[in-house]
Amino acid sequence: MHLFFQELLNGLVVGSIYALVALGLALIYGTMGVPNFAHGHLYMLGAYVAFAGVTIAHIGYWPSMLAAIVVLALVGVLLERLVFRPLRNAPEVNTIIAAVGVLFFLQQFAQLLFGGDYRVFPTPYDKVVHFGGLVATQQQLIVIVAAAVLMIILFWFLKRTLTGATIEAVAQNRAGAALVGIDTDRVSMMVFAISAGLAAAAATLIASINLISPSMGFSVILKAFAIIVLGGMGSVPGAILGAFILAFAESFGGTYISTSYQDAIAFAVLVIILTVRPTGLFAKGT
Amino acid sequence: MLRKLRAALACAVVLAFASTIGATAQTSGNVITIGYTGPLSGGAAAYGADVQHGLEMAIDEINGSGGVTVGGKKSTFKLVSLDDQYLPPNAATNAKRLATQDGAQFVFCPHSGGILAIMGFNEKQTPKFLLGGYSSEPAILTQGNKLTLMIPPAYDSYFKPYTERLMKRFGKKLGLVATTSAYGKAWSEGFDKAWKAAGGTVTGDYGVNYNTTTDFSGAVTKALSDKPDVLLVGGPSQPTGLVIKSARNQGFKGGFAMMDQAKFEQVETVATLAETEGTIGVIPFRDYNGPGIKPFIEAYNKKYGTSRLPNSEIALNYMTMHLFAEAITKANSTDPTAVMAKIPDAVKSLPGKYQPSKINGVSKSGHLLIEAVAAIVEKGKYVPVPVPFTE
Repeated sequence: MHLFFQELLNGLVVGSIYALVALGLALIYGTMGVPNFAHGHLYMLGAYVAFAGVTIAHIGYWPSMLAAIVVLALVGVLLERLVFRPLRNAPEVNTIIAAVGVLFFLQQFAQLLFGGDYRVFPTPYDKVVHFGGLVATQQQLIVIVAAAVLMIILFWFLKRTLTGATIEAVAQNRAGAALVGIDTDRVSMMVFAISAGLAAAAATLIASINLISPSMGFSVILKAFAIIVLGGMGSVPGAILGAFILAFAESFGGTYISTSYQDAIAFAVLVIILTVRPTGLFAKGT
Repeated sequence: MLRKLRAALACAVVLAFASTIGATAQTSGNVITIGYTGPLSGGAAAYGADVQHGLEMAIDEINGSGGVTVGGKKSTFKLVSLDDQYLPPNAATNAKRLATQDGAQFVFCPHSGGILAIMGFNEKQTPKFLLGGYSSEPAILTQGNKLTLMIPPAYDSYFKPYTERLMKRFGKKLGLVATTSAYGKAWSEGFDKAWKAAGGTVTGDYGVNYNTTTDFSGAVTKALSDKPDVLLVGGPSQPTGLVIKSARNQGFKGGFAMMDQAKFEQVETVATLAETEGTIGVIPFRDYNGPGIKPFIEAYNKKYGTSRLPNSEIALNYMTMHLFAEAITKANSTDPTAVMAKIPDAVKSLPGKYQPSKINGVSKSGHLLIEAVAAIVEKGKYVPVPVPFTE
C-alpha cells in the first residue's frame, strides 16, 4: 500500500508538468487550430532563461521563473506575429511545416548559445521531506502546488474575466467573435503569450528535478500531443484530465507491469480510450 | 514574372552552395580524408562534439608538424564530419557517403549501433575503408571484421571486478535501473548473468529511458521496494547522477554499479560524493595514468579553453587518430588493409606523449588493448580498482 501512495505522489508530480505543457498546446489549438510542434522547444527555452536568471543574473528562483514567463510570453507573441499570422489563410500543411521549422531553429539556437551539454539547475529546495512513510523532495511538492495554483489562475481568467471570455468566444467561433467586435488578432497574440508563459513555468518547475538540455523539448512534446488528443483537441479541462491519466498510467504501469514499457503502457491507455471515445474525453464544439 | 525570377534566383543560390560543398569535398593528391559520423545534434550532441574535438586536435597537431609522408610525398589530413543523430541507419548512410563521395579511407563512429551497421559493408563493398569504432560493445569483436579497430575497453571486462567488490561490501541482491538504449539493455543482461554466476540474485529489471524520463522517482521507488543491496545504474552521465541522487533521497543505503557510459567527473556535477559513496565505475579522467595525460590536458585546454573538462572520449579518439597517422607512415600507403596490418607496429612506436591512456597492443580480433582502471568511492575518495583484460 505504501508503494501505491508513493507512486501516486510521483504520478502527481509528472502529471502537473504534463498538464501545464499540454494546456498551452490545447489553448493554441483550440483558438487557432495550429498544432504548435515547437511548443516543447518553447518549454526548453523557458528553462534556459530561468537557468540564466539563477546562475548568471543571480536573481533567485522565483524571480527567475517570473522572468522566464515574461520572456517566453514575448517570444510567443513574436512567433504569432512573424510566423503564424502570415500563414493564417495558407493551407494547414504550411503552418505545420512552419512549426517544425521553428522547432529546429530553437533547438540549434539553444545548442549554439548554451552548448549541447546537460545543465544542472540549482534549486534552493532540494531537501527531502518525509510524511507518513512517504518521501518527496521539497521541489516535488512545489511542482504540485505551483502547477495547481497556475491552473486555478488560468481557469479564473478564462471563466471570470472579460478578456478571458474573448478567448473562449474565438475558440468557439472565430468569425462570430469577429462579428461581435472582438479583436481576434489580439486574442491570438494573447493566447500565444499565455501558452508560452505556461510552458516556461512548467520548465522552470521541472528543471530543478531533472536536467536541462537543448533537446529536452522532444520528450514532453510527444506526450503533450497525446494528452490533447486524449482530452479532446483544444479542450482545457480535457488537457488537464488527460495529463493526469497519462502520468498515472506511466507511474502505475511502471510499478505493476514493467518500467521498461512505461511509455508503451501510457500510449496503450491512449489507444484504448480513443477506441471507446474517438473524439477524446471532452470533445470541442458539442 | 517576379515570382519566376525569385524562383530562378533561389535555384541559383542553392546550386552555388551545392557546388562549393562538392568542391571542398574533393580530395587532392596530398590530402587524406578522415570521415566522422556521430551525433552532432539532438540529445547526444555534446558527446558527438567531444569525439569530433579529439579527432580535430590530433589532425591539427599532425598537419601543424608537416603531415605524414606517403610514397615520398607529404600528405596532410582533413576531417569531414556528418551528423547521424545517434541513429544506426543514418550512420551507415553517412559512412557510405564519406567513403564514396569524399573518398575517406578512414571513418570514425562513436556508437555501437552505428558501428555494427557500418561493419556490414566496410570490408565487403568498394571502396573499402578502415573503421575506428569508439564503443565498448563486445559484440563488435565477434563479427570477424578485419577492417575495424575497436578503441575503448570492452564493457564485459568490468563485470568481474564490479561484482566482486560490491557483493563483498553490500550484499547479494541486485536491482537493475539502467537506461533502455540497446547498449544499456545489453550491459544490463551481461551484468545480470555475471552477478548470478557469482552467486547473487537479481530482484528485477526496472530500466527506464534516461533521455526521455521526466522524473526518475517512480522507477527508483519501484526498484527499492524489493530492498536490493546494489543497483546497476548507467546511461548518459548527468541523468545517472540524478538516479543515484533520487535513490539516496528515498533512503537507499547500498552500492551502485555504474555502466561505463557514465563518467564520474560528470556525475559529480549532479550528485555529491556523499551520495555516490559505494559507487563503482570508470576512474575519473584526471586520474588516468597514461604517459601522455599531462601533455594532452594542457593541449586541450590551450585549444578549447578550460570551461569544459577534457574526458576520455576526446582523449582516446585523439590517440587513435595519432595511431592511424603512425600506421599510415609505416605502411607508406593509405590502403585500409595495409594500414590495419601496421597497427600493431604503430602501437609499439607511437610516442608516449600521444597516449593519455597506455596502449599495450592490439588483440587478434582488432581491439586496442588499453589498460582500463575502475574506481570505487570509499569515504569520499576514489579508490582505484584494477580491471584485468578479458582477451
